[in-house]
Amino acid sequence: MSKEKALDPTPLRVEKLSKSFGDTPVLKELNLTVETGAVHGLVGLNGSGKTTTMECLLGMQPYHAGKISIMGLKPEQLYKHAGKVVSVFDSPSLHPQLTVKQTLEHACLLCERPARTPTQVEAMLGISQYSQYKIKHLSLGNRRRTSIAQALLGRPEFIILDEPFNGLDAGGVDDLLNLISRLNREEGTSFLLSSHQLPYLEKICSHISVLHRGRIAVSGHVSRLFNAQHSRLLVHCDDVVRACAIVQGMPGVEIEDNSYPGLLTLQLDGVNPALINQKLVEKGIAIHELVREKPSLETLFQAVVATDPLPALEVEI
Amino acid sequence: MNGFKAAFRAELFVMLHNNAARFLLVMPAIAVIIRAIAVKLSDNARQAQQSLSGGRSFEDIASSNAWGHLVDSLSIGLTLLSLSLVAYAAWSFSSDRDNGALRHVVIRTTNRMGIVLAKFANVFLLALATLILLGIGSALITAILWDFGPIVEDGYELISSAEIRQEVALGLGLAILPIPTALAFGVLVSVSTQSATQAITTALGITLAVDIFKSVLGSYAYYIYASFQPSLVDRSYLSDVGRLVRGYSDVMVDTQMLSLNQWIPLPQMLVFIAAALVVVRFRKL
Repeated sequence: MSKEKALDPTPLRVEKLSKSFGDTPVLKELNLTVETGAVHGLVGLNGSGKTTTMECLLGMQPYHAGKISIMGLKPEQLYKHAGKVVSVFDSPSLHPQLTVKQTLEHACLLCERPARTPTQVEAMLGISQYSQYKIKHLSLGNRRRTSIAQALLGRPEFIILDEPFNGLDAGGVDDLLNLISRLNREEGTSFLLSSHQLPYLEKICSHISVLHRGRIAVSGHVSRLFNAQHSRLLVHCDDVVRACAIVQGMPGVEIEDNSYPGLLTLQLDGVNPALINQKLVEKGIAIHELVREKPSLETLFQAVVATDPLPALEVEI
Repeated sequence: MNGFKAAFRAELFVMLHNNAARFLLVMPAIAVIIRAIAVKLSDNARQAQQSLSGGRSFEDIASSNAWGHLVDSLSIGLTLLSLSLVAYAAWSFSSDRDNGALRHVVIRTTNRMGIVLAKFANVFLLALATLILLGIGSALITAILWDFGPIVEDGYELISSAEIRQEVALGLGLAILPIPTALAFGVLVSVSTQSATQAITTALGITLAVDIFKSVLGSYAYYIYASFQPSLVDRSYLSDVGRLVRGYSDVMVDTQMLSLNQWIPLPQMLVFIAAALVVVRFRKL
């Protein structure tokens, strides 16, 4: 008991994690921290090392250097948490010959103290009607639901999800997003999610890390990351040339594009769009429309990738 | 230890709901029952033919005695059992790694070594249950179709029932000893290979290759556990017992071989398990 108290409660702390496949480095001194109660999204290009990172975290494959601590324990000791840390992998990872009900009963045997019954988690994930179906006969989406259901049997404190939205229909994605939000809000469950589905992550994540070229290029609270981004302002006006001359030189304003007739694209750094509007109107420019593009996860991701693009030779076609 | 217990229970749950395991449990017993019925029908046809042409020979007397058929049934059943369970042991870990189910056990219940031991314990349990069914099936079918009794020729008792029973028990015991080693070999292959298909083909391939080529090794073959198993090229003591209980008096008992039969399999089993425990630490799951 005293040993448990001494453990670090931080769900995940990764320091200088390095991993290579042969001579090819995949992870280069990767640092990542998931705070207690956070829903942390890990995004990256195909082949950026998201799944490798997840598998190293969970002790599924060895790493060459670095330090990983999951709630105070090393990856190979995760079982000592007895179900407080669980994972849902990119493939459903279930016994194909078992039924949904048997799969959940089997998962109960793996939990030290199941906090929910198989029937309860079936209802939570909307798979009660498939209870007697064998896993091999289920669709990918329902297999993923079953995989998530078994993870929830022991009331985990930290859940690691690798590509959780793959194979889910729109309703299934909404249900999963709601479930993650509810577990995070009501039970304080921390999450680490890796996904390509940036809009879904944006809806749900409190923290984001962008994995690029084997390193975490950007990491932090979503609001802080978005505030740090330049916002774009699209100005639809009658005289782009004059408008350009007016805004040129204004502090915090940069002209991004003026090549389209009637459209001026600006990048704003802490400048209120109302100020631009006022200046242009004062000088007699007719403004037809003013559109502010809010920073998004997609723009953040694109900005990170654009600063250090992959060489053409590394792109597999 | 708690983790191992939970992993063992979870693996047992999966095995009990696995059609392949259920099939392997009854397959050797059913095979020997079907074979015994076929042999009985064939014997009856031959005896009917001979009754038309003359008296009974010594072979007929020996063939109507249940002991020889019991030993044949056990020998064939154990050959099937060891081959099928080596394949099952090879499949056990590798298939769970292929479908990813192993990962949940590692994360929630026990360490990698605990899983290997839980897998081995379950396959061992399946072998034990299969062996019991095989023993019951063989004994029942031979008792139904033939009569147990001493080997008698011209009113003279060549071998008493008690002696036969003793030899059958010894032969069976010595034939069973290498089975856990064979299962441990299957588990080692399962842990070491890249996929379930590769594991099964490798385990069966090596087992059959050793069986076929063991005669090339001469007396060194007795330092391999597989030499003591009933197999396709059978050199086990049980095959000698099969001839002994049919009244062939030329069976020579090699005491050194019996001693090796007792002492070789267990250390080899421990070596295979230790190797599997080492290999599993470095495998990607």
